Amino acid sequence: MSAPKTGEDSRLDQFLAFSAEVTAFGVVALQGTGQAEAYLRTVDGVVGTALVDELLGLHAGAPRAAGNEGGAARGVHLRRTIFGDGRLGPVARNIVKLWYSGVWYELPAAWTESYGPAPKDVTFVVSPSSYVEGLLWTAIGAHPAGAKAPGYGSWAGPPRIPRFAGDRLSPPAAEPVDGAVDAERVPA
Amino acid sequence: MPSSKITTVSELKNYLYLAMQLEHATLPAYLTALYSIKPGTNTDAVHILRVVAVEEMLHLTIAANLLNAIGGTPDLTRPGFVPSYPTYLPDGETDFTVGILRFGKEAVETFKKIERPSKGDGRLVRRSYAAGTSVLGRHPESDEMHFYSIGDFYKAIADGFELLEAEAQGLGRTIFTGDPKRQVTSEYYYSGGGTLFAVTDLESAKRAITLVMTQGEGTESSIYDGDDELSHYYRFDQLTHGRYYQKGDEPHHPTGPALTVDWEASYPIAANVKLANFPAGTELSDAARSFNQAYAKFLKTITRAYDGKPELLLAAVPLMFDFRNLITELVRNPLPDSAGCNAAPTFEIDAVTAAEALAAAREEVVA
Repeated sequence: MSAPKTGEDSRLDQFLAFSAEVTAFGVVALQGTGQAEAYLRTVDGVVGTALVDELLGLHAGAPRAAGNEGGAARGVHLRRTIFGDGRLGPVARNIVKLWYSGVWYELPAAWTESYGPAPKDVTFVVSPSSYVEGLLWTAIGAHPAGAKAPGYGSWAGPPRIPRFAGDRLSPPAAEPVDGAVDAERVPA
Repeated sequence: MPSSKITTVSELKNYLYLAMQLEHATLPAYLTALYSIKPGTNTDAVHILRVVAVEEMLHLTIAANLLNAIGGTPDLTRPGFVPSYPTYLPDGETDFTVGILRFGKEAVETFKKIERPSKGDGRLVRRSYAAGTSVLGRHPESDEMHFYSIGDFYKAIADGFELLEAEAQGLGRTIFTGDPKRQVTSEYYYSGGGTLFAVTDLESAKRAITLVMTQGEGTESSIYDGDDELSHYYRFDQLTHGRYYQKGDEPHHPTGPALTVDWEASYPIAANVKLANFPAGTELSDAARSFNQAYAKFLKTITRAYDGKPELLLAAVPLMFDFRNLITELVRNPLPDSAGCNAAPTFEIDAVTAAEALAAAREEVVA
């Protein structure tokens, strides 16, 4: 694999910035899946780089959030320009699903009817590792069946749900649960 | 002038603490190399590294059993227990460094040096190091005197057990005064070569030391250890030759099935990176800190396991999977301003322990 050129690099950064905002996972966690390049390639391959550039450009140009009001304004802006858009919205939602499940889902029939044929637009798993690295497992405090086993006896402890950006500190259910299996409860 | 002869039980305890430090010190290097391998590649190397790492954990536990057998208290949370990488290991007249590196030719050459069969005569050699340098295999009472090789270090321990127990027996006593309930046995340990057994007398102590030495280097006459397992040195040597050893093979001439190694298929992590190399206040430096905290917690848990609660080794298992996930996350992230290298675990554990001690002291003041 050749090293990305500077231009491509910043495009990946833009894709990560968009993905972080729409998945509620941080950029480090997203890079930590090792799937960023493969997902960007996947989206490019199905809908074309021009559409992806447009989406990422709109995201990069959205007003910066400052305080609660700014955040709300940014949310409205992103909904109107990207998620509410007939052409970009389904692709944006597919990127969220891609990160969470490692699967590209076939776009709605209405999308291909309106915006033209996308021959590679079929439902497919990006790669064996994308299944393993799906964010959904982390989000629900579980692990993919048959991979990334959490260790013998770990099921004795409660699932660990990470705290997401924007989570309230309460209710207690949203608190991250401490790492260890309760040491004292392990049977002798 | 320090001697390589151990003459008191308290000296023997100091040696065994250093043995635990030494056995542990290989783990950060082996585990980082293992988890730097890109998923789906280098399956033979993954298997070899995993087996060796698991057996190093066995050696650590055996050293704890030896220490417990003579009434000592294992402590993996003592400052300096985890060395600052790169750390020095003896290699005959000279030494070499063990670092936190990506999987590749350089790492495998280092690993072979770690496990290399020793040829010393049990003597100490003088080597000088800059202040603050981590050196393994040194004499417990002198920073300057070091064992010729790791084998010589263990030979001194084996001789010490023999001499001290003979002396004690002469007086109608024994040095094996530790509570047998503190011994970690095979019901708490699984998935590795070699078995874990309680150390309760000279015979079991010598068996334990032999197991640690031969699993690494092989026996004098064979590349296999006493359990017919290929020794660590030759396991790594298979990667160099691209071929597995089989029974009857001579050293450096494996004739088993071919294996493939893709030396470039690992994440290009920065070597021996420290927290100071991470941009402050970023998600990435938080991730590096989280790893150190998780690793510190793991060491704390196994310290308690070795300190009379062997059942806690089971609770340490999920902690290992936790820090594995944290390492894989780090090594896939580019490290800013590092010439295209990726981040890596820093293993700066003393800083975590110190911060926790400070927080606990503050809490006490408030209460």
